[in-house]
Parts: sequence; C-alpha cells; structure tokens
Amino acid sequence: MTRWSFRRPSFWQLVFAVILGAGLYSTVVRFTGGLGASTALSDAFPWGLWVGFDVLCGVALAAGGFTLSAVVYIFNIERFRPIIRPTILTAFLGYVLVIVALLFDLGRPYRIWHPLVMWNPHSVMFEVAWCVMLYTTVLALEFSPMVFERLRLERPLRILHALTVPLVILGVILSTLHQSSLGSLYLIVPEKLHPLWYSPLLPIFFFISAIALGCAMTIFESFLSYRAFRKRLEIDLLSDLGKVIVVTLAVYLVLKVQDLAGRGVLSRVLEPTYEGRMFLAEMLLGVIGPILLLSLRRIRTDHFGLFVSAVLVVLGFIMNRLNVSITGMEASSGVSYFPSWTELSVTLMIVALGFALFGAAAKYLPVFPETERLLASSLVEPPAVAVLRRPWIGTTPLVLILGGLFFIGAMGSAYSGLQHRERTLAAVSTREESEPQIAEGLKHLEVPPDVTFPQGEASPGPVIFRHASHLNWERPDCTICHHEPFRLLKASGSAASSPARDLHDERHCGRCHDGRTSFSVKEDCTACHRP
Amino acid sequence: MGDKKGLLLDTTLCIGCGACYEACKERNQLPRTATHFLEDRLSDQTYTVVKRRGGRFVRQLCMHCEVPTCVSVCPVGALEKTAMGPVIYHEARCIGCRYCMLACPFGIPKYEWRKILPRVRKCDLCADRLAAGRPTACAEVCPTGATRFGDRQALIEEARARIRAHPQKYVPRIYGLEEVGGTSVLLLSDVPFERLGYRTDLLSEPLPLLTWQVLQKIPNFVVVGSVLLGGIWWITNRRREVQLRERQQRELREPSAPESADSWHEEP
Ligand code: SF4
Ligand code: SF4
Ligand code: SF4
Repeated sequence: MTRWSFRRPSFWQLVFAVILGAGLYSTVVRFTGGLGASTALSDAFPWGLWVGFDVLCGVALAAGGFTLSAVVYIFNIERFRPIIRPTILTAFLGYVLVIVALLFDLGRPYRIWHPLVMWNPHSVMFEVAWCVMLYTTVLALEFSPMVFERLRLERPLRILHALTVPLVILGVILSTLHQSSLGSLYLIVPEKLHPLWYSPLLPIFFFISAIALGCAMTIFESFLSYRAFRKRLEIDLLSDLGKVIVVTLAVYLVLKVQDLAGRGVLSRVLEPTYEGRMFLAEMLLGVIGPILLLSLRRIRTDHFGLFVSAVLVVLGFIMNRLNVSITGMEASSGVSYFPSWTELSVTLMIVALGFALFGAAAKYLPVFPETERLLASSLVEPPAVAVLRRPWIGTTPLVLILGGLFFIGAMGSAYSGLQHRERTLAAVSTREESEPQIAEGLKHLEVPPDVTFPQGEASPGPVIFRHASHLNWERPDCTICHHEPFRLLKASGSAASSPARDLHDERHCGRCHDGRTSFSVKEDCTACHRP
Repeated sequence: MGDKKGLLLDTTLCIGCGACYEACKERNQLPRTATHFLEDRLSDQTYTVVKRRGGRFVRQLCMHCEVPTCVSVCPVGALEKTAMGPVIYHEARCIGCRYCMLACPFGIPKYEWRKILPRVRKCDLCADRLAAGRPTACAEVCPTGATRFGDRQALIEEARARIRAHPQKYVPRIYGLEEVGGTSVLLLSDVPFERLGYRTDLLSEPLPLLTWQVLQKIPNFVVVGSVLLGGIWWITNRRREVQLRERQQRELREPSAPESADSWHEEP
C-alpha cells in the first residue's frame, strides 16, 4: 500500500466518526423529545426529509437489484452475472436503511409491525408496508449466499440455489409494486401536489426513474469500490448499463413531455416560478444531461465518463423525489419547510452507514468477482474506435465540461427557483381577513333564559342574571364570560356547573364589575340584589 | 340513509359568538390555546375554530366525508367511518405515519408533535353523544341556528329550502353535497366559498378512487406477472440448457480451458 492510500481511509474514518456522532446525538433528541422537538415538520407539512429522501430514495436503491436479477436469471443473459451481487447488496442495504429511517419517522415506531395484522387494502401505505417487509426478506435471502459462501456453508447454499428463480420472480414483482406504489402514495393529493409533478402516471414515473437510478448506482459503486479496494466491474458491462440508462431515461423523458402536454401544463415548465425552475433543474440534471453524455460512445466507454454521468443521474433522481415530496407540496401547504439539523444529521448518518456497510461487505464478502482477472481485463483499453481518430479533446476534459455544464445549469435553475420561493409561498398564504358583517344571525339570536341565583345567608336579596342585558348586541361574544369565569356551556346545557364559591370574586361577576369595565361589586348592592 | 347525521353551517346566521368553540373545548376537555377564540387555529388541542373570512364568520372542523380520504389512506385502519356519520380514530392502532394528514383534502387531522407518543387529533362529531341520541356539543349551544344538527338528508332538504326561499341571498350551492364525494358537514353562504377559505376546486368524486384504481390491479398484476416471468424463464432456460449440452459435447471432443470462475450459481 502506498502512503497515500494508507492515509485516505483514516481521513474518511474521521468524517465518518463526526457524522456518526452528530447522528447519534440527534437520535437521542428524536427519541427523548419527540418529532416536534427534533424536526421541522408541522401540521401543515407532515412529511419531510425523512420520507422524501430516506424512504423514497432508499427504496429506489433496490431497483438495480431487481432489474439485473431479472436480466440474468429470467432472461438468462449471462454476461451481466458479475454485476448481480453488488446490486443485490445495494438493494438489501437500501431496504435496511429505509426501515431504520422509518423507525425515526413514524410517530409510534414500536408499532411498525401493525400492518401485518391490521389490514387496510385500500391504503397505498399498506401496500408499501407489505412490500417493505416482503422484499426485505427476499433481499436478505438473495444476499445470504455471499455470507454462506464466505463461511463455506454448503447446505444452505444449495437450498438457496434451488430457490433462486422463484425468489427472483417474487423479488421482481414486489419491487415493481413497491417502486410504483411510492408514486401512487401521491395520487391521493391531486389538489395539493403541484401540477408539474402530480400526474395519474406518477407510479409509472417512479418505476422508470428507479430503474435508471439502479443502473447508475451500480456504476457509481463500481467506481468507488475500485478506488477503495481496487475491485470493480468490466467496462463493457458498465457501458452496457450506460446504454440501458439512456434508453430508460429517454422513455421517461418522452412520457413526461407527453404527460405534461396532455394535462396542458407544459408551458409552466418554463415559467419563472419556484416550481418551474426546480422542475427544470431536476430534468437537466437527471434526465437530459445523462442522456446526452451517455449517448456519446467516448464517454460511455470511459470509467470516469460513466462515473460522472451516473452521479448526474443520482443527483437528478434525488432532486425529483425531493421535488415531489417537498417542493411540489410547499405552496399548497401555505408554509415553507426546511429540514432541521436533526433531520439532516440523521439522514447523513444513515447514508454514511450505508457507505460503511457497503464497504465492509465489499471487503469481506465475495461481492465483486475475482479481482485479478478483472483488473487484467480493465487494463485492456476501451474499443479501438475511440482511439483511431485522434480526438480533438481528451475524454476526461470533455466529460468534465459537459457534466459541469449540466450541473451548473441545473444549479443555476434551482437557485433562481429559490429566488421565487418566498414570493410563491407568500402569494398563497395571504388570506383575506376583512371585518366581518354580523348578518342575519342577530335576528335569530336566542339568548339563554334568565338565571335566578338563590339568596345567600348575608345577602340583601336574590340576583336575577339577564343574558340580554349582558350582551353586546352589536357584536355578541359569548366567550368573554363563558370560557373561564362561568363554565356554563356544559354539554348538558344546564347551568348546573355554575360556581358555588363567591360570585363577587374576580373570576366571576367581579371580573367585569370592578368599577372600570362596569360598576363595582363593592358599590350599591341593590344594583343586583333585588329585595 | 336516514340514520346518517350531519351538521349544517349557515354562515349568514353566524354571529361569531364562539359558543361552539367553547363547547367543543369543554366536551373534549381541551386546554386554552389562544387569548381570543377568533385568533386560534386548528391544532392537536383545538378541533374547531371560528374564523373571520370574507366579511363573515365561518367555522372550520372535520367535514366527516362520506368516503373519507383519511380512512382510505390509513394503512392500519386507525380511522373509521361509522354508520351514523362520524369519522373516528382508534388510537391503539395508529403507527404515526401521518399519511392521513398529508391526504386529507381539508387539512384537518393534527398531530401531537410535542409528545413522545403522539396521537392524531381531530373532531369526532361527538360520536358518543350521537350514539346516545343527542346532538353535537357545538350544535347544542349555538344561539342562532348557524350550526344545525340533524339527519344529513333532512339537512340537505333544509338547505335547499333556504336557498329556494332566498335565492338572491345565498350562493346557489350547498358546499359538501358533492365535494370529494360529499361530506357530513354542509355549508351555506352568501359569499363565494373560496373567500371563506373553503376550496372550490376539489374533485366531485371521492379521492380514494384515485388510488383504488391502481391498487385494485395488484392481485392481477401479481398473478399475470409471475406467470409471465416464469414462462420467460422457462423458455430462456431451456435454450441455455441446449447450448450447455452442445458445448459439453464440443468440449468432449476438444478439451479447452475451464469456464469463468466468477459465476456463483454455475450449473453443476
Ligand atoms: S375532512 Fe379530512 S379528516 Fe375529516 S373525514 Fe374528511 S378526509 Fe377525514
Ligand atoms: S397517522 Fe395514524 S391514523 Fe393517520 S394514517 Fe397513519 S396510522 Fe392512520
Ligand atoms: S355558536 Fe353558532 S353563532 Fe356562535 S360562533 Fe358558533 S356557529 Fe357561530
């Protein structure tokens, strides 16, 4: 090991420790102070970062797993076999982390098992809950051969081997359901989610974009694990994944444009509003940019080019999920939401745990195929076409320029969106509050009957209380008296609960009969007590 | 149908006295949450408010939808539409996912954010009083008839009659007759409903249909999907076996280098 590669892990370990420390502290805050103390969530904005990022994005990490296991086991396209394991691992970790995030987000995390026995098949959330439980199990089974192999346990391996195809089929079905159902969650809020994102096709959009993300994550991980452990996948496989991404995203783009046009909101994409700009940013970053980059053969057959494109896909994807769950919901909620540091640090901790677990697995388990052989094959230069004609610009600078352009474009758009944010939100929350007219109602007003208080021992005479003379007829307000002093508004409607103690005190008649608001209880007794 | 109860709120009759607000607080034993009731808003400790809007006083509370969105989205059935009309909450089932809050088209359910073991809170249309044959607490104390309790059907007739009697006064529409499939709480007004803070752009179908259209396809999807995938596997696997056999035969004739070592489920 060179000195450089020896020191690097210790730097990352430091970062990891800091993130973990902050995350653990936030965990304590969350579970001792409750959701109110630890999040920026409110009645108007009940779902925030933990749902929008941790759950919506975490689940999508699994998409690579089911796509590729379908390709290899169902369609028997053997070439992709080496990619299976890293994607299964990613999927499994994704789901484990989603469950961890749910434990933070649910108000009553210890009841997370309730959907098992309390059913409501009409709820998308119910479907989501079952998908999480079943698919985590399937993924655990699909992942376990890596552990058994490492432990050299033959019997379970053989059993699992026999189960592979049924498991894969089950996994594909569940995963398809789950990816799309996360989109379906938002079908129920047609009047809340901004029309740029609300669409009857939400489930399909979620499904397609998840597939692109799954492939991008595979490329991303291969690159990272090469830097960390010198383990990675063959370039021609990765570049095929690049092709898959292009096709998937192209389908996504076409559907999206058709859908927006069909609902007559296409023009709103270019409007200078908060939502419009954020939408544009998401599309530039996660769809248009990667399609262009990966369509270029030079970039697609280059490790770095693939990596940058994959990063764009991942960022764009995250932005999409956050846009659906946060940006698109803000205006209708009338409040602005920005995650609290607790939400952020817990999220960071979960992401860091994901990286750490992936790293550990890649190091100790047979996740990536045999290293030497792959290293040898990755030394072989990409196909000759790229080298034949002398390129006018190196691949790396080209990738940097193109990727950078899209990144900067998207960030610029998002920035200008944020400029409009205040205005958009303010426009919604200004509500007219003019002086009310007291209409018809006064004609119908029935004040309760007079109340005669029995004469006390030292009393000069009984008191008859008249509602009619104690009411401001211009602006009747029962609650001046009837909230604390006279809790007369008993459910029974009777005056039974009237105060038994001294009515002269400042909690009762004395409250207003104090010589300022009205004549004082200390003045002429016969004003009230009629002998 | 006759059993279904409801409330009719007539904003032209409301004088903003706050008796309903206080009665609700009293019945649910909720603490004070504002210096004056007109400044309060719905929360985990306030299930109904009277607002000054559009030059009128208008109440806000759970609408007790006929096909409630909140009931349909709750994964564990913690919310329930009862036969008499109230939409009630079963605290012991709730997992706290807050999907009901996200989904309710009227923004009604509130959460006990400050508690360690929070609950969802909202008006339950005094379900216990209704069961005992009594009106809601708010309707009982209203001094002007602006909040009327009764059979939903009868209230609709009453509302129609009021509009017919004063066509030049009322907005010719009963809010809650069709909104998201109808609600148990109905409103009449002489100013446009959107000025009262009530959305008029809601669909007239129940929102749960939107998700049910997708959800009901699931069983079919699972069956067809599994058969399809199984079938594809059967075909492609057969082809692979044939190829394998051919290769083996070829290898028997001219032995060559062993196959790749990286595949983990290599056929024996
Ligand atoms: S108004 Fe909201 S909380 Fe009340 S029944 Fe309808 S959907 Fe449920
Ligand atoms: S928060 Fe509770 S009542 Fe509301 S949808 Fe979730 S489980 Fe149901
Ligand atoms: S009690 Fe009746 S009149 Fe008074 S605020 Fe409530 S609805 Fe209006």
